[in-house]
Amino acid sequence: MNLFNGTWIDQQEVTITISGSGTAVTVNYSNGRGPFRGTTTNSPPQITVNFTDDGGNKTGTLINNNSQINWDNGTVWKSYYVRKNAWIDNNGGQFVNADGSYTDLYWYAKGVQVMQSRDLNDQNSWWFFAAIHGISVGLWKQFPAPPTIPTTPLPTKAIQDKFWNQCQHQSWFFPPWHRGYLIALEEQIRAAVIGLGGPATWALPYWNYFGPGNEYKLPPAFAELNLPDGSPNPLYVTARYGPNNDGNVYINLSQVNQACQKNTIYTGSNTNTPNPGYGGPVTGFWHGSGSSGNLESNPHNLVHTQVGGSGGLMSYPSSAGLDPIFYLHHSNIDRMWAAWNQVGNSNPTSADWLNGPASKGEREFVMPMPDGSSWVYTPDDVNSLSQLNYTYSDLAAGITFSQINVLTQRLSKLGAESIDVKSDANMDLGTQSELIGANDGQLLLGASGVRTTIKLDNSGKEKVSRSLLKASATNLPDKVYLQIEEVKGEMDGNILAVTVNHQLAGYVSLFGLQGASEVDGHHGGTGLTFLLDITDIIDNLHLENELNAGSLDVTIQPDNAIPQHEKITIGRVSIYREQLQ
Amino acid sequence: MRNAKQVRYAISMVIMLISAIVWILLLINPCEIMTIEHCHVSAAGPSATSLNMLLAMNPISSQLIGWGLMVVAMMLPKLIFPVQTIYMQSLKRLRFILAFLFVWSYLVVWMFAGVFMVAIIIALNLLMPLSYIPAIAVFLIALIWQFSPVKQRFLNRGHQHQVLAAFGRTAFKDAIVYGCSHGLWCVGAGWALMLFPMLLPQGHNLAMLVVTFVMISEHMEHPQTPRWDFNLRLKLLRILIAQTKIKLKQATT
Repeated sequence: MNLFNGTWIDQQEVTITISGSGTAVTVNYSNGRGPFRGTTTNSPPQITVNFTDDGGNKTGTLINNNSQINWDNGTVWKSYYVRKNAWIDNNGGQFVNADGSYTDLYWYAKGVQVMQSRDLNDQNSWWFFAAIHGISVGLWKQFPAPPTIPTTPLPTKAIQDKFWNQCQHQSWFFPPWHRGYLIALEEQIRAAVIGLGGPATWALPYWNYFGPGNEYKLPPAFAELNLPDGSPNPLYVTARYGPNNDGNVYINLSQVNQACQKNTIYTGSNTNTPNPGYGGPVTGFWHGSGSSGNLESNPHNLVHTQVGGSGGLMSYPSSAGLDPIFYLHHSNIDRMWAAWNQVGNSNPTSADWLNGPASKGEREFVMPMPDGSSWVYTPDDVNSLSQLNYTYSDLAAGITFSQINVLTQRLSKLGAESIDVKSDANMDLGTQSELIGANDGQLLLGASGVRTTIKLDNSGKEKVSRSLLKASATNLPDKVYLQIEEVKGEMDGNILAVTVNHQLAGYVSLFGLQGASEVDGHHGGTGLTFLLDITDIIDNLHLENELNAGSLDVTIQPDNAIPQHEKITIGRVSIYREQLQ
Repeated sequence: MRNAKQVRYAISMVIMLISAIVWILLLINPCEIMTIEHCHVSAAGPSATSLNMLLAMNPISSQLIGWGLMVVAMMLPKLIFPVQTIYMQSLKRLRFILAFLFVWSYLVVWMFAGVFMVAIIIALNLLMPLSYIPAIAVFLIALIWQFSPVKQRFLNRGHQHQVLAAFGRTAFKDAIVYGCSHGLWCVGAGWALMLFPMLLPQGHNLAMLVVTFVMISEHMEHPQTPRWDFNLRLKLLRILIAQTKIKLKQATT
């Protein structure tokens, strides 16, 4: 195996690919320079390349755990890892390539195997890393093997307080915290892979369930009972039940979508971005329930629930990190964030975001690294891929769209003059919201769902109607949201379909329900809150003169039957108008 | 029309302003409402006569006013976030009245607690006038309470937000119930800390300021698993240190 094969980046940040082996090595530059021919030896780990445009042969030596090439002319190349598609770049999600070599998924499995062989209190173990995302010992004991999940030996309380239960949800820190988490896990797996003689360029694959063909299905390697060497496959887990709870794991794309990629602001709202924004709401020190950002809500939360099903590892934040598919799912979420940035969308620039929650007296983001050190990072440290040492094989945003069309189409639908539509890209316009209606009393979500009537306040309803009647390019029409507040219960693995006057408003996942409902938990028992943009439905009702009825009919229907002994309650279902300006 | 950020800011400012004004009143201490006055009779030992003298010099009504002012000064900043949430989750025309009912109910609970507190303060002053022993004893109790799982349970419940009904009398009732329950959790978490400054013969203003800092800090912490834990819960201090570091870093770059 050629230790030099892979992607490198030079001091001018030009990407260079080395391929081949022995006396037939090729060096390709992404800027069109070359290609150049060379030779390599593994012992000592050296490469000699004939740079025909720069004086001929030069020799480079691998150092720093094979992560850097030092050339004899003083130049340094650093390894640049490429996270590849779990389906396309892994021979259709298999362990073995067509040429008989092992895929990244195989080496991932071998790395997971190494990490799983370590104890729970070992900071480099699989179990410790799962606990960094979240741990509930009682919950961990409930899952059937494989894997056999250890709940002892526990590390000291100080170590637990430093590393465990860090995951950031319903927060604008959701994307950056998970980016750092993936980097740390990837380092651990890579170290294990190198230790086993695998490729030094190994990077975490991503599962792009939005891809063509069969990519919506779980990559087959995750369903194999054994690895090619006959050992048990650590990527296989029993408690992964799928959207229909029958063990057939796939993503139901009628519920899961990548509409969030159309958003144009990270936090807030405008005509292209429903509240609370792409990345999530600003979170300070009020620990009540907030709603997930649009990337987190759909696809992230829905994929968790669909993969885990009812009672699966992926269905709970406190156990999701135990399932190896978790990291490929988050690799895809991270890829979507990077793709969103690549088309020109910006991350927050405020110090409160850049400096992370530690600037507000909260815990700092910290990860254990393979060399025993602790990596403390902030969102500013992982703000873009250009400041990190990896990229994705495909950074397509996933959706092509025209920002201006969203508003133009809406104004056209409302019968308004739509010329000279101003572009509100990158601006938070939805800073004024107002409750305009709600149901009466707490709801109990039964096996067959629940139906409720939202009474609309006359004043609020008239404001919305006036806004829609006067809609123009300069008088932007109100947006309207359905908010399902204080949803509490014990069973995370469910998805709720929500309709308003028989029109589908959207799907919400109960991922995180149990933790958010615990009185002594991080959220103080305030439950989950869901926000659905129902502007289009309200526009339809307005055009059909049905908005004057003074009430809306809402149904909330669970995907999976709720057992009799489970109790899911909803504090209030309400309607908010949002004035854009 | 004010935007949400401006509304939240205005609520913070109004509440902080009220708290600051009451703090000034407390520090001025008009008519000695914040302190117990003694005379040679009460100093001679407990008796019906000394109790009557003590009550004549320190009427229950003025003691309760003092207690009420202390609660407003120290506790009102803790209500900023619940009040902001009530504003955001209520019909526009009901926002103020619902927030007012919530705060009023919360204060009523503290005033009920105040009746017992004032009785304890008077009794201890009767038994041990001008002595630091009661304050030291309560301080020790407060320390034990501070790190106990029971206190953590009260603190955790203080984070429970209760969404209010949107319309009619139910909305008013919900605001009152929310205020009362929030007050109850707050009294449970903070009764010992509140009692301590009132028993100090000297330096109770400084003690009140320190206690306020501690109580706001602990209110800002995330809910934790209830257990015996030597946790100082000084989140406000952590914020101040972190923000100072950021400002210094910005100034030097």
